[in-house]
Amino acid sequence: MGDERDGMYGWIWRNLPGNAWVKALISLVLVMAVVYVLFQFVFPWAEPLLPFNDVTVDNQ
Amino acid sequence: MAATADDTEEHMGMPGAVPGPRRRGPGRIATAVSVFGELLITAGLVLGLFVVYSLWWTNVVADREAHKQADKVRHNWAQDTGGPGALDTKNGIGFLHVPSMKNGEVLVEKGTSTEVLNNGVAGYYTDPVKATLPMSGKTGNFTLAAHRDGHGAKFHNIDKMKKGDPIVFETKDKWYVYKTYAVLPETSKYNIEVLAQVPGESGKKKPGHYITLTTCTPVYTSRYRYVVWGELVRVEKVDGERTVPRELR
Repeated sequence: MGDERDGMYGWIWRNLPGNAWVKALISLVLVMAVVYVLFQFVFPWAEPLLPFNDVTVDNQ
Repeated sequence: MAATADDTEEHMGMPGAVPGPRRRGPGRIATAVSVFGELLITAGLVLGLFVVYSLWWTNVVADREAHKQADKVRHNWAQDTGGPGALDTKNGIGFLHVPSMKNGEVLVEKGTSTEVLNNGVAGYYTDPVKATLPMSGKTGNFTLAAHRDGHGAKFHNIDKMKKGDPIVFETKDKWYVYKTYAVLPETSKYNIEVLAQVPGESGKKKPGHYITLTTCTPVYTSRYRYVVWGELVRVEKVDGERTVPRELR
């Protein structure tokens, strides 16, 4: 059990296996996975709900 | 435990605090604060990524898709020689060329739904007012919409269009050359009058062959609509080499 005062990212870092280089590599992969999920699923879902991209005139 | 805690303890301004159960109280608050701070930072990063997504990535995806579909339309046109011009509305009916928008050719497809427009194309209205297609030969209004930002941003430079600028619509065998005659820089998104077959707001009273481009304004928002009207000047037949009309040279 480690010190938990440095937040969730610190906790993730401490719980990654390997030395600093391995940890950095895994972190990079994790970040890329998160960005992928955001771009592929979350943002396409959220975008139509936000009023930035309506271009037509309509009577609704 | 002490080995890992030493460093942080000094930063927290508690030198000499005895490692052990006594630290649990302030430790819990500090944890809550730093997790909260990290969540705020994360939220900021996600919002920043969303901007990158909307203004860059959607363009990449839409342009890729638009190119694919445009190639298909060109391919079909090249193959389908002779015979009555079977109108393939599913893959797009033609290309819009507006030199003053400096965006090359824009594929025109049926409908103005998000799914259609997100492919980086312009859509002709089927709802609430049906567009009159130029190939029908009838008088009416050829009404189009496309994105101002993201998803190809095909009408991004609509504000660069001035009266007199050409708008050319290319189909399999005809060039329809329109001339811009009126611009409405801001109108309500409920103003469907701009799509009327005789768009009175542009100053026209008599039926004619009109074209209407709509998109959102100001840039990066959807608060108002920007409208540009053009009127048909002439129709040119497409020749063997698909020589472009002089407006596009």
